[in-house]
Amino acid sequence: MVDKSKCTGCHQCELWCGTEISSVSKELYQAIHEEPQPVPRVYVEGKQFALQCRHCDEAPCIEACPNGSMRRDPETGLVYVNEPTCIACWMCVMTCPFGIINPSPSMKVAIKCDRCRNMGYPICAEVCPTQALKLEDRKDYRTKAF
Amino acid sequence: MEFIQKKTIDSAVEYFLTKAADSEIALVWDRYEGQLPECGFCETGLSCRDCLQGPCISHPFRDSNKLGVCGKDRDTLAIQSLLRLVLKGTMTYLDRLTDFAQEVESKQVTPKNKVKTDQMLKEVQALIQNGGTVAKKEFPKSWLRCWEELGIAPEGIARDLFKASQKLEGGVSEVEEILLWTFKASLFASMAQWLYGSLKTSVFGETVPTKIEINLGGLKQKAPNLLLYGYFSPILKRKIAEAAKKQGVNVMGVCTESLLPPFSFPIATGYGSQEIPLMTGAVDLVVVGDQFVNPSLLKVAKEFEIPIILASTLKKEKNIGLFVQRIVEQAKKSFNFRRSISRDIPEAKEYATMGFSKDSIDVKKIATALQKGLLKGIVIFAGSNNVKYTQDQEITMMAQEFLKNDILCLSKGEASVALGKYGFLNPASNEKHCGKGLSDVLSSLGKEIPSVIDIGGGDGTTTDFLLELAKTGKRDLSGYPIAACYPEANRSSEVTEAMWTVAMGITTYFWPALPVTGSTKVLEALTKSCAEKFGSKLIITTEKKIDARAKADFILQAMKGERKYNISGKPWK
Repeated sequence: MVDKSKCTGCHQCELWCGTEISSVSKELYQAIHEEPQPVPRVYVEGKQFALQCRHCDEAPCIEACPNGSMRRDPETGLVYVNEPTCIACWMCVMTCPFGIINPSPSMKVAIKCDRCRNMGYPICAEVCPTQALKLEDRKDYRTKAF
Repeated sequence: MEFIQKKTIDSAVEYFLTKAADSEIALVWDRYEGQLPECGFCETGLSCRDCLQGPCISHPFRDSNKLGVCGKDRDTLAIQSLLRLVLKGTMTYLDRLTDFAQEVESKQVTPKNKVKTDQMLKEVQALIQNGGTVAKKEFPKSWLRCWEELGIAPEGIARDLFKASQKLEGGVSEVEEILLWTFKASLFASMAQWLYGSLKTSVFGETVPTKIEINLGGLKQKAPNLLLYGYFSPILKRKIAEAAKKQGVNVMGVCTESLLPPFSFPIATGYGSQEIPLMTGAVDLVVVGDQFVNPSLLKVAKEFEIPIILASTLKKEKNIGLFVQRIVEQAKKSFNFRRSISRDIPEAKEYATMGFSKDSIDVKKIATALQKGLLKGIVIFAGSNNVKYTQDQEITMMAQEFLKNDILCLSKGEASVALGKYGFLNPASNEKHCGKGLSDVLSSLGKEIPSVIDIGGGDGTTTDFLLELAKTGKRDLSGYPIAACYPEANRSSEVTEAMWTVAMGITTYFWPALPVTGSTKVLEALTKSCAEKFGSKLIITTEKKIDARAKADFILQAMKGERKYNISGKPWK
């Protein structure tokens, strides 16, 4: 969940997402110099709003994917890209209502947030200094928009 | 993003950690954990707050904000972060010098050597106005030629510091140019430090090797304890020592010059654990300066009802004598008042012989031993504690490795305190640490020479030693297997010091990484182009989780010229 009033637009989530998820070295000092440049999965939009995949119940990206590379993890319900089979048709990029999925600039795959499904807790929420990004179960999310 | 599991290797400090946790007193380690994760942009030097259009960052992973609002790219941001630190550090040396010079000028002390004092006071004026001449005469010609060719030789405060500071204001200077301004500012600081040392010697007399107590065991159970924190006027300090001695008040120091001839102050603890002495309940009064003092002292002092006196305020004390009298009286009063508070003094105590200089060690013998191969090299330890590392662990482990491998270890300032706490500065424990070659050299130098030799702190004794070594060996320092090592650096004054050490031709290893790691160009400028200019490098490693032994091994390999692997064990490119 993102609390808009708490986000200061400090870009720490982007920085650590890029380092932890996308870089080869996993260390900030070295990730900075890596080629190709690591791509964060979360974006700070406009001035103060961190945006990452909502993992929609009815995900248009899964619907749009022609060869089933966009998948839902049956255990956690998280949506992720199976990168080896992605054919870079960018249908998911076009259909995502939040503009989360991006074409990778260097490798021909779609990249998106999988909410750190292999790590237990998302790195962006862990590093957020104001706790604007939090991971919590919200039954009332339809009434209280993020 | 890294918690330090073990906070310190000093058992006296560790004892108080549990006590602090029980009584819910937040110490430096708790506050550090509260700060994590620290801002990645600031850590790598990719942020800027120089104007009000920002704050800006250069995003390493996004193309839309690679440049700041004014157009600074990551290289400019990183080198400016370094320049900002160096300028701030330079001010600390200048403050010490001008403060001291003013007090000597106003005749608050009778100098030991009147003629030399007057000469030095004139030289202080000259340094500020046009870079001075006496200090330059002492420096080897080859250094000065190199500095003048590059345009970084000191030329006075206006040209060196005011101009350098304008590089933060704007302009289109390249990385190389700004780096040279950084060196220029730091060399100015080195001259200021050297002059401070000379002025101190001419006012108080030569510093001779002195045996002093280190660690919390030096606090007295049945006498008032007065603690001096940080750098402040040496004249005030000396007068306090004089008055305290007469009235039976025990004076100790933390992060302060411990030798002021003829007085010496036992050292209570190091920089990292500066709150701990107050937690013993045995401190009755604290006199604090500004440099090296953490604001957290105020809160801990309040908890234990310890009065704090500031050494320098806007309304300056005109009569030092009365001020000193008030301090000592208050220490005694506070001792009586605080009788109900229990005094929990740990037994930890070590002896250290400190205050060597080029006059008390035979530099010629060291140069010959280096030539003959009895000594494999020289390492100068410097820098205080940094909460990012287990307190004192890095420096002690590295010192052990070096001593085993016949490397002569010198240390200065807070590094001496860190090593002194574990007996490295106690001649009695030489056998435990030193290799055979080193043992022979140390015993040939004199009777009471400890395994690690302390060569001064905030004064220019280290520079003097290096100058002597350069003169004796008749070659530049870059030709010797000599390195400076900052295992746990912290303050901006240490960054400045590291920069001038590089300009003097000594390869310097610096931990933790300076805020320049965001730019490949700056990292290359600090290694490759510095090697071309000065024959030395400032080595900043980007690998974080490296064992202290691996670091020591890395330096050893580099000194022996057989570097095969880089610090993380990967083949060297």
